[in-house]
Amino acid sequence: MYYQQQQTKQLYAIVFVITLLSITSCKPKNVANAISGDAAAKVYVAPGSHDEFYNFVSGGFSGQMSVYGLPSGRLLRVIPVFSVDPEKGWGYSEETKPMLNTSHGFVPWDDLHHTELSQTKGEINGKWVFANANNTPRLARVDLKTFRTAEIIELPNSGGNHSSPFGTENSEYIVAGTRFSVPADGAGGDVPIGSYKENFKGHISFVSVDQNSGEMNIAFQLKTPGVNFDLARCGRAKSHGWFFFSCYNTEQANTLLEVNASQKDKDFIMAVNWKKAEEYIKAGKGQKMDVRYAHNKYDEATHTATSEIETEVLVLDVAELKDICYFIPCPKSPHGCDVDPTGEYIVGSGKLAALIPVFSFDKLQKAIADKAFDGEFEGIPIIKYEAALHGEVKKPGLGPLHTEFDGKGNAYTSFFVSSEVVKWNIKDLTVIDRAPTFYSVGHLCIPGGNTTKPTPKYLIAYNKITKDRYLPTGPELAQSAQLYDISGDKMQLILDFPTIGEPHYAQAALASIIENNGQIKIFKIEDNKHPYVTKSEDDSKVVREGNKIHVYMSSIRSHFSPDNIEGVRMGDEVYFHVTNLEQDWDVPHGFAIKGADNAELLIIPGETQTLKWVPDRIGIFPMYCTDFCSALHQEMQGYVRVSPAGSNVPLTFSLGKNSTTPK
Amino acid sequence: MGVSYPFFSAKIIIMKGNNISNFTKICLFFGAVALIVSLFVPLWRIDLDAPQYPEGLRLLIYPDEIGGDVEIINGLNHYIGMDTLHTEDFLEFTLLPYLIIFYALLIFSVIYIKKKKWLNVVFVLFLLFGIVAMVDFWRWEYNYGHNLDPNAAIIVPGMAYQPPLIGFKQLLNFGAYSIPDIGGWLFVSCGVILLFTVIYESKFYSQKFNKANSIVLLFGLGFLAAGCGPKGPVPIMLNKDACSYCIMPISDLRFGAEAITTKGRVYKFDDIHCLINYQNENTEVQFEAIWVCDFNSPNDFLKVDSAFFLKSEKFNSPMGGNTPAFHSLEKLREIANNDTAMPLKWNKLK
Repeated sequence: MYYQQQQTKQLYAIVFVITLLSITSCKPKNVANAISGDAAAKVYVAPGSHDEFYNFVSGGFSGQMSVYGLPSGRLLRVIPVFSVDPEKGWGYSEETKPMLNTSHGFVPWDDLHHTELSQTKGEINGKWVFANANNTPRLARVDLKTFRTAEIIELPNSGGNHSSPFGTENSEYIVAGTRFSVPADGAGGDVPIGSYKENFKGHISFVSVDQNSGEMNIAFQLKTPGVNFDLARCGRAKSHGWFFFSCYNTEQANTLLEVNASQKDKDFIMAVNWKKAEEYIKAGKGQKMDVRYAHNKYDEATHTATSEIETEVLVLDVAELKDICYFIPCPKSPHGCDVDPTGEYIVGSGKLAALIPVFSFDKLQKAIADKAFDGEFEGIPIIKYEAALHGEVKKPGLGPLHTEFDGKGNAYTSFFVSSEVVKWNIKDLTVIDRAPTFYSVGHLCIPGGNTTKPTPKYLIAYNKITKDRYLPTGPELAQSAQLYDISGDKMQLILDFPTIGEPHYAQAALASIIENNGQIKIFKIEDNKHPYVTKSEDDSKVVREGNKIHVYMSSIRSHFSPDNIEGVRMGDEVYFHVTNLEQDWDVPHGFAIKGADNAELLIIPGETQTLKWVPDRIGIFPMYCTDFCSALHQEMQGYVRVSPAGSNVPLTFSLGKNSTTPK
Repeated sequence: MGVSYPFFSAKIIIMKGNNISNFTKICLFFGAVALIVSLFVPLWRIDLDAPQYPEGLRLLIYPDEIGGDVEIINGLNHYIGMDTLHTEDFLEFTLLPYLIIFYALLIFSVIYIKKKKWLNVVFVLFLLFGIVAMVDFWRWEYNYGHNLDPNAAIIVPGMAYQPPLIGFKQLLNFGAYSIPDIGGWLFVSCGVILLFTVIYESKFYSQKFNKANSIVLLFGLGFLAAGCGPKGPVPIMLNKDACSYCIMPISDLRFGAEAITTKGRVYKFDDIHCLINYQNENTEVQFEAIWVCDFNSPNDFLKVDSAFFLKSEKFNSPMGGNTPAFHSLEKLREIANNDTAMPLKWNKLK
């Protein structure tokens, strides 16, 4: 009996354990993402070989733009745009400080969200890449001959330049739509926040781009109802002359937008006939408004930026001037608004919607001709949803955000919530393939994916969440991007690569377009028009103008001229104008001096850059070259002597000799 | 043996009388201790998995509080308008510890009073307690999943977010998996001990007492709880389920296939071609059963060994396997429009 009881108990224990195990085993496990064996070969770019594509990636809250090579995912350069960069002296040298000037004064940081390569006839031309500043509204143009920021223009009447810098098919215009509607700049801005509906307006800037010089100017602004503009795309081919802007918060809420701006089933995509706007301007219909905005240009001849405050902008009120704007209803707070390479289909992505509406440009034109309207929103006709609709992609995933195109009739849409990329056919609206992203993808990029001729070899997903993708680095992790091979029928994940800032939108182009665009390797010293240039060592000197001391300094391997300076007194401001006399590729020199309260200089061959230094104590201050330039780089150094105010130490400078008798 | 039965059993009843045996007392003691231990460990857990939560989220329900990643879950749920969870909003968390102590004392009282009748009463009370607790839990889950803020940012028409009482359910991007935690299992084991002692002390058990029966009884109890893994084929959701091999959505059921591993995991395929490739590349995966869809009636599954296959370019399948399956040779020939078509069997296809 006892033996039997023992056995029974044992049996009981066994059964209990089996039960436990079997229940836990029915938990479904995530399908591990299989990386197929040829992924390594696909992304391998042998040492010394070049990548096939340039990828211009927004640096998000770093304020900069990063350049990657694809398919390797190697970081090639971080171009400083809206944020200071001590590594390159950007925003610290006297020459670059004006680039970050605004109507608010010097602003050292911004949030760069999107990039846009310049186009000719709907194809990437490799001249410039544009970028937006999302905080203090600005637009920047990076020159791809130098990979440097050449121009920054501030945008008046705006709050948060998010719907930017999207361009037309010949880069006639780069647009800049305001994320926050705000009262127009000026004295009329002091209104209760609660008076949003009456006083807050959206302003969309159309910034013209000179096709030769690239110079930007605000051609006109459209004054629209107060809503939040999110993203935009130009019409192309048949729809050239139109622009499409997604907007949300048509509830016109001014607080707790996450709830209050998500109430309506449909917000809008705003279709803009900018050719019509041009006609109105020709007819003298625009209104000139007094505003203040900075326009900063970098001159490559003087190696110096200038900042001008402009005071006027031409504004068209789209509620009064008919036929410029139409609203197309789009489900649930549209985010992405993308136009396919044929220009016929406009894809709206309601970030809270469970479907993707695709609108037809032809149907839109017909709806406008037939006046198939469903009322008005603050004076702008609302087109009937069905009248403009080509169709809906049903149940594609959760949280559609952005769409890129392969030019073969397929669209690729990112899904934030379900963390995947979904490939679907534009014509018949069926889902073809889906691939998980790690994790929660935001923007997508296919090289040329917003042009009439995409190069659909790769797709890059820029993710919002990194978590366990890389070796952990404490609470702050690298940002994460993923490369997919889309040359076959199915998307294939082939690479993870970390990025700077938070990557938002990015564009990519075949390397050949940009490599051969006339990129420069050095600046010619004879073309240097800098007012403080030192064209040879013989010209180097130190000049006192009151309490300002200008050091005309040259640098060449491996010394500065002069490298001994005496006679600087407390209370002086010293300007080191350093000219790099090298005329050979990849021989930059750096310059730094002890106690300088800004940064270093990085001077490219043929260039002059200026560091301002205000000594705070008497003594001997070492200076040296920071960029390893030669075998004798460590010898490239010198001293500055600082004496008390009123000292009678004469101002002297020298190289290679002791110029003064010791006192 | 059947003839001598009444006499034999009568003897045992007399032997055991109305008092419970020492063995039962020991069992009950462990049951009561299990209840007391359950006061300090989670009773239930709901695991949540989403693509962007590779580490997973876990909601733990203790007798007296909600624990685990409750703050994170509260933060996420506001998008879809679900109520936030707070221990103090539930009367249950105040009552439950006392109820558990009360039941433990009841069980101790059985040991003290020693009466079988009292054991039966306590068992029934405990069973009621279990049922009421589960009904209450379900009611809470229902309210939690259905009472959504009409002003929520994300509203998916017709979608409710009620977590499963037990088992797995997909809720938007989250897979929710609800099972008893240690405390729950202690509870269940206390119930099983009570049930076992009731049977052990009953006439029924005394009459049929033999080793074979007790094994059957124990396994029977075990299987009650273990019956959660799928044993038969699970329907393939058209355009929703993805092929486990090529990861494409299954858009044509006629060529579909399904396999269940020995652990109960289900793999779905859009083409026999994909199934075979999957098997060849994942030889470590042990399948308990493999089915293919009947070409002629795609919602019906055929056991792979009994199906008749035909490899023909006439049948254009999603991934180029071009091998439909039929339930009979006649049907195969009829559909193929070929009276002499020769079928392939599964072992030849592999």
